[in-house]
Amino acid sequence: MARNSIGLILNAHMPYVRHPEYPRFLEEDWLFEAIGETYLPLLRMLRRLRDEGVPFRITMSFSPTLCSMLSDPILQGRFTDYLRLHQELGEREIVRCEREDQECLPLAKMYLNSINTNLQEYFETYQCNILTGFRDLEESGHVDLITTAATHAYLPLYSEYPSAINAQIELAVQSHINHFKRRPKGFWLPECGYFPGLEDYLQKEELAFFQLAAQSLILADQPVERGNYAPVACPNGVFGFARDFHLTNLVWSNSEGYPTDSNYREFYRDIGYDLPLDYIRQYIHAPEVRVFTGFKYYAITAKGNDKRFYHPERAARKVQEHAANFLYSVHQKGEKVAPLLDREPFYTLAFDAELFGHWWFEGLDWLEAVLRNAAKSDDVVFETQLDYLKRYPESQVLQPSLSSWGEGGYSDVWTDGVNVWIYRHLHKAIERMEELAIRFPDQGSLKQRFLNQAAREVLLAMASDWPFIIHNGTSSSYAEKRLRDHLGNFNVVYENMCKNAVNTEWLVKSEKRDIVFPDIDYNMFNLNSRRNRYNG
Amino acid sequence: MITPNIDALSLVELRYIARKQGIDDAEVLDREDLLEALQEMYEEMESNISGDGSVSSPFTQQRFMNTLVAHDSNDTMGTLPGVQCLPEGYSETRIHLLLKNPYWAHAFWSVCSTDIMKLEQSSASFSFFLRVSIHEASDRKLEADSFDVDVSRTDTSWNINLPERGRVYSVSLHYKDTDGNTGRLCVSDTVETPKSYWLDHVDALGKDERQFSLLFSSLVSKGGNMVENPLLREVVELLDERLGG
Repeated sequence: MARNSIGLILNAHMPYVRHPEYPRFLEEDWLFEAIGETYLPLLRMLRRLRDEGVPFRITMSFSPTLCSMLSDPILQGRFTDYLRLHQELGEREIVRCEREDQECLPLAKMYLNSINTNLQEYFETYQCNILTGFRDLEESGHVDLITTAATHAYLPLYSEYPSAINAQIELAVQSHINHFKRRPKGFWLPECGYFPGLEDYLQKEELAFFQLAAQSLILADQPVERGNYAPVACPNGVFGFARDFHLTNLVWSNSEGYPTDSNYREFYRDIGYDLPLDYIRQYIHAPEVRVFTGFKYYAITAKGNDKRFYHPERAARKVQEHAANFLYSVHQKGEKVAPLLDREPFYTLAFDAELFGHWWFEGLDWLEAVLRNAAKSDDVVFETQLDYLKRYPESQVLQPSLSSWGEGGYSDVWTDGVNVWIYRHLHKAIERMEELAIRFPDQGSLKQRFLNQAAREVLLAMASDWPFIIHNGTSSSYAEKRLRDHLGNFNVVYENMCKNAVNTEWLVKSEKRDIVFPDIDYNMFNLNSRRNRYNG
Repeated sequence: MITPNIDALSLVELRYIARKQGIDDAEVLDREDLLEALQEMYEEMESNISGDGSVSSPFTQQRFMNTLVAHDSNDTMGTLPGVQCLPEGYSETRIHLLLKNPYWAHAFWSVCSTDIMKLEQSSASFSFFLRVSIHEASDRKLEADSFDVDVSRTDTSWNINLPERGRVYSVSLHYKDTDGNTGRLCVSDTVETPKSYWLDHVDALGKDERQFSLLFSSLVSKGGNMVENPLLREVVELLDERLGG
């Protein structure tokens, strides 16, 4: 019986959102929801498996912006406030449900229990920095941690600007070392965005592999020998692993994926929207902006608003069913594919981590069941990309094709009719940053800080999140404002430096506002300077 | 109302517009159905425009010009307090080309006021056009072919249809005066469209069951949906044609 290896990569990423100037800020909830619904429960589940001796190996990517926010004392404090506020809501919900909504009472208790556990673990186990938990899992040999572009920039649209791509990758590696005390060996391509030649930048930072969209290898200009069932070596020796769309789609599809099962919890029905304002006002955003609270009592049921109540026990049965179905599908696939190959098949599954727990409430239970069942099976094993490369150091040499995992498979999502205007300004900012780095190399003191802030602003503006959010049309005003703010802030530095001046008051404020990448060196935008550093 | 030349848009762009306009099933409609649905919608919008030019239909009005899908972002954001204003353009004569997919690229440009003044001094009237140059991938300096696209003096961006895969493209901005004199103002960096081996070797793929299974078994979902990609779709359509033949 052939062994089927699954290389699971979870990408944990959030755009840099930090607004201490407001008492509460709506978009900071993105981070808090991800910590409370995905990262903490994921840590809990992985540690439980480890403690019980269940063998597994997975890869996780943490974006530098997320790492920065997870270790930021202000955001840590605000997450604690967020949990306490929801704890209070949970206690009120139990009283309300006992009185008027008995069917929801077990669910309210379940949510409150989860919040209490999160609070306890956040303080006692992780001392408010959950990155330590993931580092611990890496040290025990269960997780390989990798990095991604510094601000998760979609790199194919910056291929004209080697300095910007270098900066995104060099800073990412530096940030990873700062947070995890190890050099990363792999790189998550934001949005699976690849263009031929990108591997050269990765090689400079000693990165051994990256993941690719499913169509990248079949559409290459030479025939791929092992389909998507083995990595390819780019001409420079960096390895590319293409996603298996067939297996991925069992999980990540809004038409046929497991998460669409009618018994699973409905994401969009939440008491933040359903209950009267007088009751919910203090738990949503001022003045009366309804938001998700995490208290969701309905099952997906069917299309439309007529939903039945959520029953966790029914969902739990489905979780087991879907976990078994997944492993059966892998087994069946192996039966078909293994005879066509000269080595054991490797299936790359790459997901956004937030799918599990946040978007798909039962997703982490499903993953746990899959890992447990795989550990007991004869033919399915979870191993990482690095494990595979140790087993099979040789791969077919092939240049993958331009690709992304976005709609259409290329750059359309990030260059559509509503967001393509941003590149005129982004490209100009990069060119001006290069100009500043060349005109004012190796500055010290205030000018150095001023130029470092400019580099920060350019990189933050490059985040793939802004054009993606504008494309989706949700929170697009915030995304557009952020983009304009970063570009406008960059222009402040540029205009001042052209007059050989430093706006000290502005600088101090800006450094307080965006404290991401404390070790940034703006000289990375000067390619000549970089070359000197490498040669030196 | 300015509407797009929808016949010239790619399937991806049609789906995008249809989705934005709230057309049901935009993701599953084929090209013909999308064209029909959008045409009907535009006709309805046209009939709903009142005497003062405002649109009373439930659809959100968007500006479209030829194949250029334009968006005036300043309408919504620039007027909000605390939002940084960005310049409409920069004082330089420069053109950029972004590859959207193997079939489309997006060009954006600016012409500095000095160049505009020079042109105004030398001729009473002038216009602009884009020249799309196609180069061999093996020798980027060698121009194999080119075509021109007229643009207005107020245009600053354009979506360009790329006719061939596996080629290198650049775009340059030119002026043309009333006497027929022309000149190049600026030229972009090049972009290269991807080329798939299997597009040129479909027959071999059709005859090789092992190869076919190996390639496609990871690209098709349990429900029979293939990874959404126009080049892949081309390979499959060619295969269908050959096998059917």
